[in-house]
Amino acid sequence: MSAENIFSTLEEKFGAKRETLDKWGVTAVVSGAYLRNVVQFLKDSTEEKFDMLVDIAGIDYLTYPNHEGPRFAVSYAFKSIKTPGARIRLKVLVGEDSLKVPTISDLYANANWYEREVYDQFGIVFEGHPDLRRLLNHVEFVGHPLRKDYPAQKRQWLSTNDYLLPELEKRLETLGYKVIQRSKEVEPNDDEFLEGSVKA
Amino acid sequence: MIVLDKNGEKLNLMPLNVGPSHPATHGCLRFMAAMDGETIVASVEEIGYLHRGFEKMVERGTWQQVVPYTDRLNYCSAIMNNIAYCRAVETMFGIELPERTKVLRVIVNELSRINDHFVCVAAAFQDLGGTTPFMYAFNPREEIMCIWEKLTGARLTNSFARIGGLYRDSYEGFESDVLAALDSTEKALKDLHACLDRNRIFLDRTVGIGKISAEKAISYGWTGPCLRACGVASDLRKDEPYYDYETYDWEVVVGTQGDCNDRLQVRLAEIEESVKIVRQALKRLAPGPVDIVDPRIRVPAHKLAYQDMEGLIGRFKSVYEGIRVPEGEYYSGSECANGELGFTIISDGSGHPYRIKVRPPCLTQFAAFHDLVEGGQLADSMAVLSGLNIIAGELDR
Repeated sequence: MSAENIFSTLEEKFGAKRETLDKWGVTAVVSGAYLRNVVQFLKDSTEEKFDMLVDIAGIDYLTYPNHEGPRFAVSYAFKSIKTPGARIRLKVLVGEDSLKVPTISDLYANANWYEREVYDQFGIVFEGHPDLRRLLNHVEFVGHPLRKDYPAQKRQWLSTNDYLLPELEKRLETLGYKVIQRSKEVEPNDDEFLEGSVKA
Repeated sequence: MIVLDKNGEKLNLMPLNVGPSHPATHGCLRFMAAMDGETIVASVEEIGYLHRGFEKMVERGTWQQVVPYTDRLNYCSAIMNNIAYCRAVETMFGIELPERTKVLRVIVNELSRINDHFVCVAAAFQDLGGTTPFMYAFNPREEIMCIWEKLTGARLTNSFARIGGLYRDSYEGFESDVLAALDSTEKALKDLHACLDRNRIFLDRTVGIGKISAEKAISYGWTGPCLRACGVASDLRKDEPYYDYETYDWEVVVGTQGDCNDRLQVRLAEIEESVKIVRQALKRLAPGPVDIVDPRIRVPAHKLAYQDMEGLIGRFKSVYEGIRVPEGEYYSGSECANGELGFTIISDGSGHPYRIKVRPPCLTQFAAFHDLVEGGQLADSMAVLSGLNIIAGELDR
């Protein structure tokens, strides 16, 4: 099944639209409500079995010339290991008022970090994500730097790094352990947090 | 912290912070491990210490000004990143490159791959306590670095590729330099294999360590040598060939176990394949132009700026306004030393990139780090880390 055929199936089943801007490959614009069904369909029901999520990219169309429609988009790139060379991209348009996309982190393991990155850079919330934190910027960072209205020259004072103990407890719990006594360092008070070093 | 395990047994775990500046974490990586004695029970990672805002910075310049930024992604093989980026933009233009450029790009690509793999294997062995192979690997690497100096004027951040061509043609004596570097590469490979293959200490430290199944690696989006070490023969140079890679005689190297040892051995075997490709490419290297002739894309030669009105205008416009990449959205992936380096490019038809998203191969590999180290010893986590070849420059962008 070529990408064109897959697209016509997506068009029929999920009301996908062809992205005319992608002149070099196949990009299907799907609505957020169908995203998980479309991804599941690509992964399980197509002949190629798109088993690898290559990339998730956020896009802000704020200053794009003659752009109509929602301000943000999230673009997914998939490829198939089983059928080398088979690729397809999906795009979900996200309005400024809702800023919500369903997560696919349970379908592809790497979507977890990719979605955290898009959340970090654009502020788009992935519903159902197990651990939606910033990935590249610091915990104290305010705003979403890759939005077009974030000034490139803006500086922020950041004093500390991620405080990983709560995440470690969460990870232990997903592995089947039960935390019965927390470390003394788990919850720093505000002063210590701002000083950048946490004393026991 | 005190926890109950699955059988209700009480364990006293010690949270241990590793990094961000640890000698074995090559760059700024940090993870927090819950330790039961020497065993890692759980681990969480934090990245972003080297986040420079690549994607924000490139939106402020022209399309050509992105090239030096791409050097700083994987700084062990800078030219490969330049070429991957230029290839993405050239595809949007629909440019057909001159034959000599294609061959030269294949040569520098593969020499970069040799360089990158040597650094990875050498550093991995260094982390495990062996300094001898480090020197074996760095001798031929130094020869290639000298070629870079002569060819591009820089050792590390070369910025050699240009959209629609190359920075310059190769210098006189390039072929013989490359051949000499290949000879010492082959010699170093022999030495390295003699040092590694039957080395009890090395095998104990790497065999069966950091194992991952092929399904899991695919689900994590692994590409490149790390995925091939799991036994998946996936290589973009074969799957989606560019620069006539399919016409060269070479093999895709795969491992069997997907452990740390396989990841390093696959890299060594890939160096052998790269040597084969470069030898064939040198034979194909015929004289000819390296730039396309189109002042709207590739800036006219410098001497034309002083002799020719059109050349002056071409230089002026492409420097001040930037080249105008056709409007559209495109994803292009190229096989780099660590795996698939992808660029999602959004162009609004102006002289500046509207948005460029980099897909670094390291990110997906480091995202699986906790799966690889949990249940192992703390010292093994360093072997795993160096086997993955995490380059913080492209991980954090």
